[in-house]
Amino acid sequence: MPIHDQGYRHYGGDRASHGRSWEVIAKTGIRTFVGKRAFIGLLLVAWFPFFVRAVQIYAAANLPRAAFLAPTPEMFRQFLEQQEIFLFFVTVYVGAGLVANDRRANALQIYLSKPLTRTEYVFGKLAILMTFLLLVTWVPAVVLLLVQIMFAGNFIFFRTNIHLFPAITLFSFIQVLTVSSAMLALSSLSRSSRWVGVLYAALTFFTQAIYGVLYEVTRDSRWSWISVPSDLSQVGDFIFRLPLRYRTPVPVSFLAIAAIVVVSGLILERRVRGVEVVA
Amino acid sequence: MVSALRIFDLSLGQMLWSRRSLFLAVLVGGPVVLAVAIRAVVLLTPVEMPQIRGARVGGEALFGMMIWLLYIRFIVPVLGVFYGTSLIADEIDDKTITYLFTRPIRRGAILIGKYLAYLACTILLVLPSVVLVYFLIVPLGEGRIGGAFGSLLADLGMLAVGLAGYGAVFALVGARLKRPLVIGLVFAFGWEPAVLLFPGYPKRFTVAYYLQALVPHAMPQDSAVSLLMQVFRDVPSVPLSLASLASITVIALWLASRTVEKREYVLEQ
Amino acid sequence: MNTIIAADHVSKWYGQIIGLNDVTLTVPSGITGLLGPNGAGKSTFMKLITGQLKPSKGAISVFGEPIWQNPSLYFRIGFCPEQDAFYERMTGLEWVTALVRLNGMSERAAAEMARRALDLVDLAEAAGKKIGAYSKGMRQRVKMAQALAHDPELLILDEPLSGTDPIARRKTIRLIKELGRTGKSVIVSSHILHEIESMTSNILLIHQGRVLAEGDVHQIRDLIDEHPHTVYIKADQTRALARQFLAHDDVLSLKFEDQAVVVQTARPDAFYARLTDLAASGELGAIHEVTSPDDNLQAVFQYLVK
Repeated sequence: MPIHDQGYRHYGGDRASHGRSWEVIAKTGIRTFVGKRAFIGLLLVAWFPFFVRAVQIYAAANLPRAAFLAPTPEMFRQFLEQQEIFLFFVTVYVGAGLVANDRRANALQIYLSKPLTRTEYVFGKLAILMTFLLLVTWVPAVVLLLVQIMFAGNFIFFRTNIHLFPAITLFSFIQVLTVSSAMLALSSLSRSSRWVGVLYAALTFFTQAIYGVLYEVTRDSRWSWISVPSDLSQVGDFIFRLPLRYRTPVPVSFLAIAAIVVVSGLILERRVRGVEVVA
Repeated sequence: MVSALRIFDLSLGQMLWSRRSLFLAVLVGGPVVLAVAIRAVVLLTPVEMPQIRGARVGGEALFGMMIWLLYIRFIVPVLGVFYGTSLIADEIDDKTITYLFTRPIRRGAILIGKYLAYLACTILLVLPSVVLVYFLIVPLGEGRIGGAFGSLLADLGMLAVGLAGYGAVFALVGARLKRPLVIGLVFAFGWEPAVLLFPGYPKRFTVAYYLQALVPHAMPQDSAVSLLMQVFRDVPSVPLSLASLASITVIALWLASRTVEKREYVLEQ
Repeated sequence: MNTIIAADHVSKWYGQIIGLNDVTLTVPSGITGLLGPNGAGKSTFMKLITGQLKPSKGAISVFGEPIWQNPSLYFRIGFCPEQDAFYERMTGLEWVTALVRLNGMSERAAAEMARRALDLVDLAEAAGKKIGAYSKGMRQRVKMAQALAHDPELLILDEPLSGTDPIARRKTIRLIKELGRTGKSVIVSSHILHEIESMTSNILLIHQGRVLAEGDVHQIRDLIDEHPHTVYIKADQTRALARQFLAHDDVLSLKFEDQAVVVQTARPDAFYARLTDLAASGELGAIHEVTSPDDNLQAVFQYLVK
């Protein structure tokens, strides 16, 4: 046909199969944050401990006098512990507004009027936060392991501590999943990201403070299950096969973490809706 | 000042009866609930008073420990961060700032009025909580309510001063910066604890350095960080601390007012 | 006529975006309509004259004084913003009273003034209800009330008819005209010409940050009439209609579209009168639809900017 129709044409290309819409939310969200200079600055600062550790590993491998700095499994556990403060700040920066901003803009109605289920919406948002949190926990820890292999020039340390890679992976994912689901649930409770940030700070620091008081009073660390950071620490020590720092049975800490994830899921189920159910 | 008081009037009612303040009342009630639980356990069960480094502690020491761990390290900074950074920011997010800016009131007075409302609201929430905890905990282990009353008054004054100081600093943060909450949390839970660990002048650029000098109780040694803090701790005198906190409050409020006066607020359409 | 507002070579930009571009104008006392399509710069101008923004260049004065950082002028100004924002948990009366109190009135006087203002906008019965429960029209009216309550000399109303139903629209227009008659100056912004026409004959046309025209609305209307007017008519017997139209010399051109005829006329009033007679008589079949793509501000702007 010599003269082409300039009118509206239906899309004739491929469509992604059902259940992939969460990727669109995730990619858009990640791109949005990556475009913010202040956030990139925060991520760079979060990688600073990695560089310090990398220098430590290099020194241990190449300078005989620095042999005492040789990496141990505890070092990787400590590294992840040091990253917890960045975990907190990245969670607040990225996560506080994830659902709250959509609620403020009444965007949930628009999202859920598309062929997008609530589950996909939640997974998409979760993926945004988890991506950045893994970027400051799992990724630098694994890269540190690779750095150790590279500077040592052999796999001896890696083979001797073969449990390290799965431990880093498992603990990072548990930590990131717990924190992300809690933050997302809190974000769904309000239209103000500022308020959500405070709620999250309360969950983290206040529970720690309450445990601190109970410990001072009872001198019994079995109360640590009350504190979210303590539960994660206990689980982390267990996964890394290190001496446990609290007397709380490990299953109790696991249960507390599971409860946080489950309760977060229930909150999200109730709050992520296209319409507010008043009655 | 009269204009600021009118704003104070308008804002106080809003702050006190908002859902957020009800939640914060629950947060501030946490220590009270804990105190009730501790009191119940000690009174109803044959449990001995706890020991710290082998010595039995009385209710006064327990109360002091709770002041440190719950109020100074968490409740006061968090209330300062949350309310302080939201003084103007909430009105901007809700787009109600237009109504205030088109009234015959200086913009700086709007900030001062809201700050005063924040102070009144937080004092009304925090101080009664402290008093309740005092009456629940101090009598334990043969502690004397009358004997420790002076330190209670000192605690109340110290917490009010802390709320004033943190509120002013975070009001400035909220007036100047785009993401005040994250910056505020970094300051309160990152910068301050970190800088207090090290000797030298950086710690003088914190509110905590001066506030902690006013606390009439010994700092608990609940962690390695606390122990390290005690090693490097240099405690300014009470008059110096009060003067410094007053200066920080006044200067921060003045800078925040100036910022609000000069800044243009372009609301999202 | 006194000059209420004077803008002298005012420009305002937001980063790279120009909101207002070298605007010089005066606004006299009385009712002035500020017209322009969305994004023309009306809200920017409103924010500049209410002191919410500072000009990037030039100067703006209200009642002869600069408005930026001059809060004392607000005793004489009442502003009704476009955005739908309130302290939702307050009742209408509480909210208006609280805002009036900021003008320095006592609690009792402020409450009395608030009640009077709410009565003026027909919200007396709903004054005790929370604003969160108000309909869109009620929210618009309570915004008007807070602007009127302290009896200002100058009222600045940013899209006051937006979201209102036809009855509320008529009442608001009547109120604004009444306010003008009592000696108040009113600046009303809108993007709908006939709304402004029904309130005032004195208008300012803004487009892409520039003032296109200012003055009497009839002069603007005449400009539209000089420009050929397009009328779209959907009918059963389009050819018969076309023959009828071509008999008159005000019809400049016509063309056929799917079951419709599109006419260009130099005298739209005369053409519409003939069309109405034809439709009423039915002698040339049924006429289903008559629209004019030209009878809007956009057409005026297109003419003015070409």
